[in-house]
Amino acid sequence: MANGDGMNRRRFLKVLGAAGGGAAALSGCSGDATDKLIPYLVPPDNQIPGIATWYASTCRECPAGCGVHARVREGRVVKVEGNPESPVNRGRLCARGLASLQGLYNPDRIRGPMAKGASGEFEPISWDDAIARITERLQGATGDLIRFVTGNEAGTFDRLVTEWLRALGAADPVVYEPFGYEALRHASRQVFGVDQLPRYDFGAARYVISFGADFLETWLSPVEHARGFAEGHGYRDGSMGRYVHVEPRMSMTGMSADEWIAPRPGSEALLALGMAHVIVTERLVPRQPDTFRVEQLLDAHAPADVAERTGIAAATIERLAREFVAEPSVAAAGGVGAQHEQAHVTAAAVNVLNYVAGNIGRTVLYGADLNPAGPSSYAELGSLVRAMRNGGVGVLFVHGVNPAHAAPAGTDFAGAMERVGFSVSFSRFWDETAMHADLVLPDHDPLEQWNDFEPRAGAYALQQPVMQPVFDTRQSGDVLLAVARQAGGTIAARFTAETYKDYLQQGWQRLQRQLGDFRPFDAFWTEALQRGGVWRDAPARAVRLARTVTDLQEPATRSAPLDALTLIAYPSSALYDGRGANRPWLQELPDPVTKMTWSTWVEIHPETAAARGIREGDILEVTTSAGTVEAPAYLYPGLRRDVIAMPLGQGHTAFGRYAEGRGANVYALLSTDVTDFGGFSHYAASTLRHTGRHEYLAKTEGKSRQMGRGIAQAVTLAALQHGEHGEEHGGHAAPVPEHVEQLLDEVQEAQDADTRYGDYAGDLPRWALAVDLSKCTGCSACVTACHSENNIPTVGPDLVRRGREMAWIRIERYFEGGEDGEPLEARVLPMMCQQCGHAPCEPVCPVFAAYSTPDGLNGQVYNRCVGTRYCSNNCPYKVRYFNWFDHQNPADPAFSFPDPLHWLLNPDVTVRSKGVMEKCTFCVQRIRGKQHDAKLAGRELEDGEILTACQQTCPSDAIVFGDLNDPSSRVHQLSRDERGYSVLGDLNTRPGVTYLRKVRNLTVDEA
Amino acid sequence: MATIAEPQRTAPQQPTYHEITRDVVATLGRPSRTYFVLLAVVLVVLALGAFALLWQIRWGLGVAGYTPPVLWGVYITTFVFWVGIAHSGTLISAILYLFRSAWRTSVYRTAEVMTVFAVLTAGLFPLIHVGRIWYAYWLFPYPNQRQLWVNFKSPLLWDVFAVSTYLTVSTLFLIVGLVPDVAAVREKATGWRRKLYEVTSLGWRGTDQQWRHYIRAYLYLAALATPLVLSVHSVVSWDFAMSIVPGWHATIFAPYFVAGAIYSGVAMVVTLLVPLRKVFKVERYITVDHFENLSKLLLLTGLIVGYAYAVEYFIAWYSGNPFEQASFYNRAFGEYWWATWTMIICNGFLPLLLFFRKVRRSIPALFVLSLFVNLGMWFERFVIIVVSLSFEYEPYAMGHYTPTWVEWSILAGSFAWFFLWFLLFAKNFPMVSITEVKEIIPMPRKARPGT
Repeated sequence: MANGDGMNRRRFLKVLGAAGGGAAALSGCSGDATDKLIPYLVPPDNQIPGIATWYASTCRECPAGCGVHARVREGRVVKVEGNPESPVNRGRLCARGLASLQGLYNPDRIRGPMAKGASGEFEPISWDDAIARITERLQGATGDLIRFVTGNEAGTFDRLVTEWLRALGAADPVVYEPFGYEALRHASRQVFGVDQLPRYDFGAARYVISFGADFLETWLSPVEHARGFAEGHGYRDGSMGRYVHVEPRMSMTGMSADEWIAPRPGSEALLALGMAHVIVTERLVPRQPDTFRVEQLLDAHAPADVAERTGIAAATIERLAREFVAEPSVAAAGGVGAQHEQAHVTAAAVNVLNYVAGNIGRTVLYGADLNPAGPSSYAELGSLVRAMRNGGVGVLFVHGVNPAHAAPAGTDFAGAMERVGFSVSFSRFWDETAMHADLVLPDHDPLEQWNDFEPRAGAYALQQPVMQPVFDTRQSGDVLLAVARQAGGTIAARFTAETYKDYLQQGWQRLQRQLGDFRPFDAFWTEALQRGGVWRDAPARAVRLARTVTDLQEPATRSAPLDALTLIAYPSSALYDGRGANRPWLQELPDPVTKMTWSTWVEIHPETAAARGIREGDILEVTTSAGTVEAPAYLYPGLRRDVIAMPLGQGHTAFGRYAEGRGANVYALLSTDVTDFGGFSHYAASTLRHTGRHEYLAKTEGKSRQMGRGIAQAVTLAALQHGEHGEEHGGHAAPVPEHVEQLLDEVQEAQDADTRYGDYAGDLPRWALAVDLSKCTGCSACVTACHSENNIPTVGPDLVRRGREMAWIRIERYFEGGEDGEPLEARVLPMMCQQCGHAPCEPVCPVFAAYSTPDGLNGQVYNRCVGTRYCSNNCPYKVRYFNWFDHQNPADPAFSFPDPLHWLLNPDVTVRSKGVMEKCTFCVQRIRGKQHDAKLAGRELEDGEILTACQQTCPSDAIVFGDLNDPSSRVHQLSRDERGYSVLGDLNTRPGVTYLRKVRNLTVDEA
Repeated sequence: MATIAEPQRTAPQQPTYHEITRDVVATLGRPSRTYFVLLAVVLVVLALGAFALLWQIRWGLGVAGYTPPVLWGVYITTFVFWVGIAHSGTLISAILYLFRSAWRTSVYRTAEVMTVFAVLTAGLFPLIHVGRIWYAYWLFPYPNQRQLWVNFKSPLLWDVFAVSTYLTVSTLFLIVGLVPDVAAVREKATGWRRKLYEVTSLGWRGTDQQWRHYIRAYLYLAALATPLVLSVHSVVSWDFAMSIVPGWHATIFAPYFVAGAIYSGVAMVVTLLVPLRKVFKVERYITVDHFENLSKLLLLTGLIVGYAYAVEYFIAWYSGNPFEQASFYNRAFGEYWWATWTMIICNGFLPLLLFFRKVRRSIPALFVLSLFVNLGMWFERFVIIVVSLSFEYEPYAMGHYTPTWVEWSILAGSFAWFFLWFLLFAKNFPMVSITEVKEIIPMPRKARPGT
């Protein structure tokens, strides 16, 4: 901490003490160092040490634009949670959003402006110098030589860049999002003549069919979809929705499906058209006005015609069509993992299907103009790269995107940058693009900056700095304005704003007028800041089939060599396109499907693997026409036999210590050919070669089958409706006799009485959880939330291989069936400490480190723990985690929070030293916090007031926390639900966690 | 009085009192070069073990191979192994004493010494294995200002008492048994050793009164030690039996462990005696008959252990408990099948060879067999501990444990630690009881005419 860069304790206190403007000083964005020290005698009103302040802002980890609340303690943000007012995420957040903190505090952030010197090494320079260098370069270049690449920045920054470029006489920026949804957009244009993406209302649909759209992972707005899906599909009062997933690979989203259909790769469109054919010819629903436009097309796609080409029986297609129209339904297409060359045809066919079924305007809503990628297009990036190579670009700016990694490797953006006279990166990290720039001007982290974002029509999400910048970074908007000012002349005249914040406010003043709000701007602005933005309903837009729909071509049949396997490069649900790879939480988050961490793998069907003599962990060389990479094999039954799959996101050659050199870059396998819809294909014909080497996989899973133990239980809807509540499981067939039960109760009471020292809270609660498995999708946001809330260290791949990951909650994923013609079913179950009434861990601890709290928790006194580990041996759920190394010690090589990552540690939770057992205690610090609040206010705690971290973030609201002793509490009622069961309840551990069985909505012939 | 071993076959000529004292005291003579080489090897291995332990304390238990859910591994395995070894000593010295088995006299000292040092070794392992060794003293119920107390429900605490009691009693027993012998050696010693013997012989002069008191005291101590033979290893077995881990939670554990402990202990006595009698040239006192008796004990306990294995499998099947069944199926056919079959073959089948008298009386065969039993008994504990833990209730949380160099070094170091004490003791104290051997040979009488 001796060096001057970064935020050290001294500087932090200085900032804290600079109480000139109170919160403004703490949260303000002025980059000027404060040189006055004022003792903290008169604290600012809203900064009380020990009390958190919450600021609303917007998550910018992906273009979904969820609202966040940042929890700020003593001037630094320690957690982000969803903003309940945001219509996008309604208070929930995914793992990537939660891990945005690790972007802010990333130890590999660029700590100040850097310029590449003559030697090719980067050297620190001053901001003034940097701005002068840009101005100089710009003055030496004509407008047509200046190009700007941004990610999706829909909102003020995009306007600023465009205006700035126009002032320079340059072309508009190239917007590039690797997950561009060009196919969906193309299909909207072709089928409806509308250049926008609709919003899909999964909450209103009782029947969902997805043609490869991973809508719970990365597709458009996953948190919103998860909420809607849980609402529409989750079991309630005897009924539920049904979900069919159509994709050659069962993705995490597909794992939630009631039925998984694996068509031949690339033939999804035929299935959609076949279904539409049945709907139209059998007149299952009232005919839509424009149906005549597609009649000819549909005529050629009778189920019998497409059955062979899709590999799906005609009867199945007919059944799907009937099911599809029987209830409010929605069909979705266009996931990145299903983005093959014909993806636009699939998307168009699905649009047609939605149209003929009457879903347009009901569950598929145009007008919202969902903006997951802006007008992004890989084609444009491609032509820019060509221009760069031909010397057609003199000055290049890259902001908010990393095309040197996140594009098919053949694009060679980095190589093309060498041919550019002068390139400027605004990256916050040393990513592959920044490494090739001449000048690197690190932007503020989204949590440090003023900005806004428009995730859809009518949603204006604000970002405000929630704390002082950690490093000597500067907001890119301010840099552009400074350059404009320095350039002087007409350019300077076009920008009246002093700072980017002013520019932003000018925009918001216009917005206020636009929205018809006539209050003083300050009131409007303050309210927007408090709420995290302004939310208006999107105007609905009626659409009709466009004439161009007749151009819809049926997908060309793929003619791959016989022995070739189709490679699917699918998005990693944690790392996204690779931008999450430098966050240790996301690296260590087990992939929801494979439970792999920190690596890239090749998914291969067990039968295909057996036929080729491949075993799990064998390192395979995967070759496509574009390139070759190596990765270990992972045997996955959720694939077609002629398909292999690999996740995107790893294989960085830069991007900091957590990302660099890890796994393989799957973009290297993808062709740079621009598809008809302007994107690139995520499918490729591939061949496999066994390298003869072997690797022990860094996965967190032991066995993938339940061995009939009834851990994750399920029941069919039909059975429930007939009054059966599901499988009875367990080791002992005989029930516990009544007198034994009574004795056990007495023991329990005596135990409780023993623990009621001082009786400090009168009638004590019994804290408990209920987890609805019919809602849980396995997305694993809870895992990251737990990491964030409870200061859980990440341990790295080598320790994961040794089973030493520390996350207190894990998502267990089990497979059922998948053999002998049985359909494959995946079940997920969040497993956290069950807070047993008769906890096996407690009596075996020789020093009382494990003990029962009076309110029914299994406490763990870290300071008392000697580390015999008997408690964990005796825990049937295996939810106790031992500190094998000193992850909390900065002097130890195992230190998990290198400066300034340790800033994200929650001050309410202790960090644990080596040799100590740790575990989930239902976020006891949150329980005590709310209890104290209630006590101070002199009132009773209300049900639902305390939220555990996992529950708080769960996008599908599958976790409910509360007091089991309060008969009116939600958790009490759920614990008595007909679907309720305890995992391994036969062991008489009396868990505080009730699981509600997953409900499978099977069709008659399946069930 | 009886002869040294009955029926007397190989030593037709009874030694005289003088010869006994001479022969035994001769073992304490100047050590050979081999002795120093052995000592050096032991010290090097011990240093390696100590280094591994310090390494582990410095960086954390993670340097060992623990792989959750296997949170006990080589250390606890080796702990139980050494506690088990310790059991035959007390059996031979105390129980056989009470039963007046005369043949014990020439072997019991070795067994007792082995017991004390084995407990001394075993006692290290709970410390080596805890996460925070610097707080291991918290396991003792000592008065403290923080009003913290220990949990008497925990079998681990019972262990603390069982092992410390056992160490105390067996040490006392050894020291008391040594007194007349040390006094005998004292007369012949010079220099610092004489001082040592003067102290350890506790002023023994061999008066009638002293003998009377001595015999009483020894008898009482034997009576006191006897229940410990059963209780200590029962308590150790409860570390496992009191849990809910499939493969641990079984009522058979206490007798099963006690039999196993005696079994392994006798095997270790054989392993130690074979080279010892050769090096110390006391074949006259430790005869093939002794080995035959030991091997009968080995056969008996081996059969009990084999029976216990069978019963475990039978109960796993008969209980109808699928977790138990799966656990035992996994033992035999899972990832650790080799460990299980090593255990079953070494402990269950090889000792059946002892039904043949030829094997029982062949010292090389017995020596090799005893090594196999030692190996098998180590693996028995490994199988019970590691294999059960690796295959518990939650399929998702199952795992596979492989030890690292740290554990192997500490395991080797524990043998070095044991042999260090053993070697030092063997050269400084009589390893064959002078007094008791004398007791069982016929009183020397004046020669009668005609004999």
